Amino acid sequence: MNHSEELLRRLPNDIGGLPAEAIRRTDHPLEPWEKRCHALADVLDFHKIINTEEKRRGVEALGAEMVGALTYYERWIATFAVILFQKRILAPDELAKRMDEVAARHSKVLP
Amino acid sequence: MSTHPHPHDHSHEVTHDHTPCADASEAPPGYYEVMEIAVRELLIEKQLIGPGEIRRQIEVLDSRSPALGAKVVARAWVDPDFRARLLTNGRKACEDFGISFYDDTELIVLENTETCHNLIVCTLCSCYPRPVLGLPPDWYKAKPYRARAVKEPRAVLAEFGTVIPADVEIRVSDSTAQVRFLVLPRRPAGTDGWSEEALAALVTRDAMIGVVTLDSQPLTESDGEA
Repeated sequence: MNHSEELLRRLPNDIGGLPAEAIRRTDHPLEPWEKRCHALADVLDFHKIINTEEKRRGVEALGAEMVGALTYYERWIATFAVILFQKRILAPDELAKRMDEVAARHSKVLP
Repeated sequence: MSTHPHPHDHSHEVTHDHTPCADASEAPPGYYEVMEIAVRELLIEKQLIGPGEIRRQIEVLDSRSPALGAKVVARAWVDPDFRARLLTNGRKACEDFGISFYDDTELIVLENTETCHNLIVCTLCSCYPRPVLGLPPDWYKAKPYRARAVKEPRAVLAEFGTVIPADVEIRVSDSTAQVRFLVLPRRPAGTDGWSEEALAALVTRDAMIGVVTLDSQPLTESDGEA
């Protein structure tokens, strides 16, 4: 099988059976925002706004480069934003504006 | 969509919903945290999610840990009827046992025996029996475990210090968004007569994933009819 055929047979998330390095038994307690992000995923699922499978496909659609560069929950929140844009629930400029406001608000509370 | 019963007092609720992260002693939030806050605020303002829902779901997540799964395992060891129901319909048996399933997933419980050892993985992402075990460890979500568990489970197990005899079959189950697995480990030798509580204390998260087995217990602790 040539390289392009191999690529076609495996979507980016489909890594079962591929060679990989030794397992590093890492774990970390979730950051508060990571836990909120996880809770947000559950709540979006409860309300049938974004379900687990849509989220998984959304992460896949970020592409291998972004998946490699972002941490686990960074991928999730980026994926939620993209899917919410696609569903026309949020607009990109609306989110950008709110992110600026949030960042400004938090920089003000610093001593 | 916005069927939650709460009245909407936006200016109040939204202002306060982000307070858990607005800790003035901490560094300012990073880019993705800002994104998380912004997405959450906008969804609440649009009344697509309720103002307190994230916090309530965090409480649900915090209430789940491997200790819950350990209780299920211990009950299965001491109660053959429960064990049979657990193996028939994992979710139903857990719900009857008092564990609510907050997500829309099925649970299949895989019993380790003398002839078969089970291992669970999610090759595509990080599907995990969260209602009974809580959130998965990072290594479960990382590429090496996801890639290798289905291909060379014995080598993977060896990295966890687990050696399964060659004549014991290793069965690897790959989770999906809808179907999750939980391993029912073998009851350690030397635990006859132990209380359910004492048994539960032996059961580890990794044993319920299947990457380790549970050690035999010294005979001295098993006297008496606890």
